[in-house]
Amino acid sequence: MANVSDVPSTVVLVGNPNAGKTTLFNALTGSNQRVGNYAGVTVEVKSGEVFTPHGRKLRVLDLPGCYSLRANSPDEKVALDALLGQLSGESKPSLVVCVVDASNLERHLQLVLQVIELGLPCVVALNMIDVAERSGLRLDPVKISEELGIPVVPMQANTKKGIVEFKQTLRFPLPLAAEATWLTTGDDPETVRRAFVTRLCELAARRPDAHQQTRSDRIDEILLHPIYGWFSLIIIFFSVFWAIFSFAEVPMGWIESCQESLSEWVKFHMMEGDLRSLIVDGVIGGVGGVVMFLPQIVLLFLFIGLLESSGYMARAAYLMDGVMSKAGLSGKSFLPLFSSYACAIPGIMATRTINSSKERLVTIFVAPWMSCSARLPVYFLIIPLLLAEKEGTWKQALILFVIYALGTLTAFCIARLLRGRLGEDISPGHFLLELPPYRKPQWSYILRHILDRALSFVKKAGTIILGLSILLWALSTYPKSKSNDQADALSHSAMGRIGSFIEPIVKPLGFDGRMGTAILTSFAAREVFVSSMAILYRVEENTNEEETRNVLRKQLAAARWPDGRPIFTPLSLISLLVFFIYALQCLPTTAVVARESGSWKWALGQFVFMTGFAYVAALAVFQIGKIIGF
Amino acid sequence: MTRNPAADLQIDSAMTLNQAKVGCDMQIRVLSGPGCERLRDMGFCEQLQVRKLAGGRNLICSICGTRMAISRELAEQVLVSPVG
Repeated sequence: MANVSDVPSTVVLVGNPNAGKTTLFNALTGSNQRVGNYAGVTVEVKSGEVFTPHGRKLRVLDLPGCYSLRANSPDEKVALDALLGQLSGESKPSLVVCVVDASNLERHLQLVLQVIELGLPCVVALNMIDVAERSGLRLDPVKISEELGIPVVPMQANTKKGIVEFKQTLRFPLPLAAEATWLTTGDDPETVRRAFVTRLCELAARRPDAHQQTRSDRIDEILLHPIYGWFSLIIIFFSVFWAIFSFAEVPMGWIESCQESLSEWVKFHMMEGDLRSLIVDGVIGGVGGVVMFLPQIVLLFLFIGLLESSGYMARAAYLMDGVMSKAGLSGKSFLPLFSSYACAIPGIMATRTINSSKERLVTIFVAPWMSCSARLPVYFLIIPLLLAEKEGTWKQALILFVIYALGTLTAFCIARLLRGRLGEDISPGHFLLELPPYRKPQWSYILRHILDRALSFVKKAGTIILGLSILLWALSTYPKSKSNDQADALSHSAMGRIGSFIEPIVKPLGFDGRMGTAILTSFAAREVFVSSMAILYRVEENTNEEETRNVLRKQLAAARWPDGRPIFTPLSLISLLVFFIYALQCLPTTAVVARESGSWKWALGQFVFMTGFAYVAALAVFQIGKIIGF
Repeated sequence: MTRNPAADLQIDSAMTLNQAKVGCDMQIRVLSGPGCERLRDMGFCEQLQVRKLAGGRNLICSICGTRMAISRELAEQVLVSPVG
C-alpha cells in the first residue's frame, strides 16, 4: 500500500481504575512494553506495540485510570490530553478502546459516552464478563453496541478470552466515530448522559433484584470488623515487615560478599595507586552500597503487589484512615510510612499509590524520619556508651523505642504543619475509595511491576550515586599526605580540612572536629559514621562488628578536649543521637526523592530542612542541658 | 408516576446517607454539595440503588455491585430515601 506511513497509528486504552486496562494492555502487547514518565505529573503512560490481523503495526498507549474527562486530577488531565493528542510526543489517537467492567456498566458507561462526545472513533472492551455473569447479571452486548453505535467486544482479559475477537476490531479501516445521539436536546449533558446510561442498563444489563452476599462480602465481614479487622491488619503488616527484614538479609549478604570478592579481585590484579583506590573505594564501594538496598526493594514491592492485586490494600487504607488523618494525611500514606522503618527508599517509591499529589509530597517529605535500619549501627554504637554498659540490656531497648517514637511523632507533627501550608487539593480530598472484590493475585503483572521498579532503581539512582560516590572519594583522598597512617591521611584530605574548618560550627553541639568529619562522611550513608569514627580514633577494624564497636567505645570514653574535659559526656551523646534521628544522611534517599517528586528543589529543600532541624534540635539539647547543669 | 426528583414529594422524607440504617436498601434522590461531581464519577448517581453496609468514621456501601468506602462529609451530601 502506498499510504502506509512509517509512523504507526495510535490506539489508546481508557477506562475507570480497576477496569482491567493494564491486563488488556499486557494481553495485547506481550512483553515489549516501555514505561514513559511524563514530566510535571508523576503519572505514567505505558506504551507498547500490537499488530493488526493484517500485520500492520499499531502503537498502544495505556492511560491512567480515570472516572471522567473533566480533568480535575493529574491523571485525568493526562488521559484527556492523550485523547486530544496534546500529550508531548504523541499524535492524536486513531482509535480509543474504552475498557469497562461488565459488572459495573452503570458507572463505567458514563466515561464511554464522554469519549464518544469528543468525536473519536471508539471500541468498547466489555471486560470481566465472568465476574458479571457469576453475579447474575444478564448482559446483551449486541444491544449495547446498537444503542451506542460502536463495536462492543465481550472478553475476559486475564484469561485472554475474547482477545482474538477484539483484535478483529483493530483491522483497517478502523471503525468510524459514532454520533452522540443522546446529545440532541438542549439539556445539561450530565443529566442526559445519566438518563441514557440508566435506560441502556435497564435494556442490556439486567441485574438480579435481590442483594446477594458475595464471597468478598463474607471476607470483609472479618477483615473490616471493628475489632478482628484491626487484629488482621496488625498481623498482616507485621508479617510483611518481618519478612522484609529477615528474607532480605540473605541476598544482601550475597551482594556484600560479591562486592568484597570483586574488590579483592581488583586489588589483586591492579597496581596500588589512585585508580585502584578509585575503583575499589569509590566505584565498587559506592555503587555496592546502593545495590545493597535492592533485595529490600524487591521484597517490599512483591508484598505491595500481592496486597494490592488481592484487594486488601484498599481495606488497609480504609482502616488506617482515622489514624493517619490526625497527621493531616489519609489511609493511603500508611503503607509508605510503615515501610520506611525498613528503608526510606522503597517507602518513598511506594507513595505512587497516593492519588493526591500534595499528600504524596508530604508523605515523601516526612518518610526519612521513620527511623530506618541503616541508623541502627550508629544507635548500637552510642546507646551503650551513654549508659556505660555492654550491648543488649532492656534499658537500651527502651531508649531505642524512645528514639523511634521521637522520630515518628515529629514526622506526624511536621506532616500536619506542612499539609496545612500546602493547602487543600483542588477538589477537597474527602475519603472516597472503591473496595474492589478480592481476587487471586496476578503473578505476571506483579513480577513485571517488580522488574520495572528494580531496573529503574538500579539505573537511575545508580548513575547519580556513582557520580556522588566518586566525588566523596576524591574529597576524602585529596590532597594526599605523605604519612601512611589512615587517620592522618583523612585529616589531611579536603574532607578532613572541612572537618576542622567546621569544628566551630559543631562545637556548640558538643562535638569535636573528628566527630564533625565523621558526620560529614556519613552524609553519603549513615552506616559510614561507625567506620569513619574507627579510622579517626585509630581503632583497627575488626572482622567482628560488635568487637570493633566495643574497642571504639573504650577509645571514645577516653577521648578528651585539649583542656582535659571528656568529649563524650552523656549530654553530647544525647545531642549526637538527636542529630542522627533527624538528619537526612543518605544520598540514595535524596536521589530517589528527586526522582519521585520530579524536582531537585524539593529534594534539596528536604535535605536542607532536615539537616537544619537536626542541627537546631541537637544544639537545643546540648545548650539547654548545659544550662540545667548536666 | 413521573420520576422527576426535583418535584418528587418524597424529597421531604429524604435523609442523608449518614442517617440511613445499616443494611437498608436506599435510592439516591439528590446530590448536593461541593463533592457532587466526584460522587457522580464514582457511581453515586441519582436514581441508583445503594445499600449501606457499615457505619462509622467512613461508611461502606454497596452500589451497583461495587463496595465503596465513603467519608461522613461526603455521605452528608447524598440524600437518599428508602426503597419500597
